Amino acid sequence: MSDLQRLAGGIMMKFSNSMQPDDSSDDRLVKLFRAYRAAMPDPEPGANFTPGVWARIEQRRASSNWFGRFAKGLAAAAVAAYVILAMMAASPQDPVFLNGTYVDALVTDHNSKLEPYHLDRVAQISTDLDSEHQSLEIE
Amino acid sequence: MLVEFGLIEEAQKGDASAFNQIVSAYRRRILGTISRIISRPEDVEDVAQEVFVRLYFSLEQLRTPEVFEPWLYRLTVNACYDYLRKSKRKPEFRMSDLSEQQVMMADAAAGSRFEGDESEKRRNREMVAELLGAVSEEDRILLTLKEVEGLSLKDLEKIYDVNENALKVRLFRARQRVLKKHEEQLRRSGELKDRKTVTGAPGTSAKTSEAKG
Repeated sequence: MSDLQRLAGGIMMKFSNSMQPDDSSDDRLVKLFRAYRAAMPDPEPGANFTPGVWARIEQRRASSNWFGRFAKGLAAAAVAAYVILAMMAASPQDPVFLNGTYVDALVTDHNSKLEPYHLDRVAQISTDLDSEHQSLEIE
Repeated sequence: MLVEFGLIEEAQKGDASAFNQIVSAYRRRILGTISRIISRPEDVEDVAQEVFVRLYFSLEQLRTPEVFEPWLYRLTVNACYDYLRKSKRKPEFRMSDLSEQQVMMADAAAGSRFEGDESEKRRNREMVAELLGAVSEEDRILLTLKEVEGLSLKDLEKIYDVNENALKVRLFRARQRVLKKHEEQLRRSGELKDRKTVTGAPGTSAKTSEAKG
């Protein structure tokens, strides 16, 4: 037996000795509890005790069934939403992005950013300005 | 065991009549245990029914019928905890909350109904109920199971799922707390007796003579 084990044993013995409560007060408490037990016999169950248990069981079953149906409905709705989102994500996009090269995609993107300054729109604006200028000169 | 293992196995398979037999066998014992843990007699049956409902829905989880009783006690303890936690919100009515005059009036009223032994039993019940009511739910339930229900440390080990040493420490501490309360109780009742002796002398106060009347 090692010193450590002996030390641990000593500590445990001291601890269990210190745990022994005062005998007289402990006995008094034990007697009090015994008298309490004798003064409190097991009560007779009511006539509706077992039917009451079954009623509660049925009630809980019904509520768990309702919850089960609700959970199933919720799961079905989640699956439907997932399918719809998946279909939307899989719908064909601009073919340039899917089939063209990286450079083609960059060009398309660049052109779309320049949209407001497109050449035919600039030509239209300049024609409008010319006609306005002419009308001012006539006046 | 109040029932045979075979009956428990039948109930586990879903046999309603086997379950009914288990309820019939254990309901009185469970009602008794609960009545000694919670202090409202009107709620005892309610909590006991809850125990059996929990038993019904968890019976299939029981691996061996040998541990049925500790397991039923565990369900009972848990149901009592739940009840006590809920009832913390409701104010509890105890004899110790009454004024001295009210206690004397209650004693007088009760005295006409209970004689001798009954009155002694009632006093003991109130004393222990007050003691257990003054400590925590954990201490109350543990002490009731050990000291009042007479369960062994082995049974308690299975119910609480802790080792014997830990249980001994918990029991010791719970007992110490209750003893402390008991000392206070004795001191208070001694003071009350002294006060009664003083007020019982000629020239008593109006309050005492009113109570006597």
